Amino acid sequence: MNTAALLGSYHPENALAWQDGRPITYSRFLSEVAALADRLPESPTVINLAEDRYRFLVGFAAALIRGQTTLLLPSRAPRALAQIARVYGSSYCLADGQETGKGLPVVQIPVGGWSAAPNPKVPHIPLDHPAVVAFTSGSTGSPRPHPKTWGSLVSIARSTGARLGLKASDHATVVATVPHQHMYGLEASIMLPIQHGMAFHVGRPLFPEDVRVALAEVPSPRMLVTTPLHVMACVTARTPLPQVEFILSATAPLSVSSAKQAETLFETSVYEVYGFTEAGSLATRRTVAGETWHVLDGIALHQESDRYLLQAPYLPEPIQFPDLVSLQGPHRFVLHGRGTDLVNIGGHRGSLADLNHKLSAIEGVRDGTFFLPDDTGTSVTRLMAFVVAPGKSVDQILSALREVIDPAFLPRPLHVVSNLPRNATGKLTREALLGLMHELHGKDRHGD
Amino acid sequence: MPDASPLEAEVAKLIVHTLYLKIDPAQIQPEQPLFGEGLGLDSIDALELSLVISQSYGYQIRSDDPETVATFASLRSLCQSIEKNRTK
Repeated sequence: MNTAALLGSYHPENALAWQDGRPITYSRFLSEVAALADRLPESPTVINLAEDRYRFLVGFAAALIRGQTTLLLPSRAPRALAQIARVYGSSYCLADGQETGKGLPVVQIPVGGWSAAPNPKVPHIPLDHPAVVAFTSGSTGSPRPHPKTWGSLVSIARSTGARLGLKASDHATVVATVPHQHMYGLEASIMLPIQHGMAFHVGRPLFPEDVRVALAEVPSPRMLVTTPLHVMACVTARTPLPQVEFILSATAPLSVSSAKQAETLFETSVYEVYGFTEAGSLATRRTVAGETWHVLDGIALHQESDRYLLQAPYLPEPIQFPDLVSLQGPHRFVLHGRGTDLVNIGGHRGSLADLNHKLSAIEGVRDGTFFLPDDTGTSVTRLMAFVVAPGKSVDQILSALREVIDPAFLPRPLHVVSNLPRNATGKLTREALLGLMHELHGKDRHGD
Repeated sequence: MPDASPLEAEVAKLIVHTLYLKIDPAQIQPEQPLFGEGLGLDSIDALELSLVISQSYGYQIRSDDPETVATFASLRSLCQSIEKNRTK
């Protein structure tokens, strides 16, 4: 049976994680994982809700050892867990705090109280084991599952590390502003460190000052795993960050000028990684070097009529790009924007069709549509929505939406209207919606 | 917003302008929650607001500060934190 080690490099006394300025060693990690694995219930699937990055990893690794699959929730909406629980009814939840399992059994990942196992062995996991299932929103209202084998996660982590020149001997530490229950966060803040003998900070800093403090709590060399939003926040605040070897950004494109500012201000190198849920991370670029993306080793691109496809040894079949791209041979490409159905709000990706489906499914809503206006400048542009719902108030519709969609996609504002400007064929054109927006905003413009 | 202090009125304007909210700043009640069910702000907004607050008042907001959850609870608590921590 082909397997790959849980850890790419094992030095028992090296730090794996930094919690409140104190290290947690690799050997303690293996002891904790072995002890938790013995206590996990029998179940094919688990939802790991742990907020602490280290405890999430303990739960994730214990599940791997038991041959279980970790389900990554499709969004932060309260109903997302219930929706997954309906499909994967025999699941249980792992938690490290007050998280509730919405009807599923909850197993706490214990803190402390461990007896160290003598000479713990590094577990090996079968390459074809479905380690995680990530979900995309699909267009029908139900999340579409994308299983990821352990082999694919290891392969992506190793090829990303090779591209960045990461070496176990450097023993660098990752500080990540992104959640670990998300493909990019899992890949860059969990898999990348454990496959390269690195360490990570357990927290998830938000404000520039948090990022500075978290970086200062870990030893050099440091790597910041983040998003364009956080990079720009640190640049704008001119935060005096400790020395950072690399900044790795993903979830949305970073502009060359922002990357240049960050490189100058923080005396660092800014790289971006590009990926999407169906394929995982697949390409990188040094942002200041230009717009061309270079695919990771083993990945090849090709075009079939008007479709752009990528192949990788760990993908069962070629996958189509959801974004608009042009190829420069089989290993390089340029991004030209999102597909027409996709939206990206502050790094959260969604499908307009899916959002419209969820809006229309709300009781009392007769017709409705989300709409993304043009950029308003430096601020993150939000979606707005137009809804036909006689007898319903804006607050009632927003409360119902809040249950089913990610908070980043909540419309600002939501307008209740008597009808939508559909054309003769029932379509809503961008021009018609822009017209409606100007009409409504002209009406209730406040005098400031 | 009859019971709002001058700073509260000023910060309400800052919030509306920074986040392009389509409301009149005077509609923000000082005690109304800014996040979730109240004004409906989220962590992206918190990040954007933290930047303008640091630029306008020299106050660097941190989330591991036990006061931060309370800071963002309402316009009034945000203004109290600004008042306490401002350097300009």
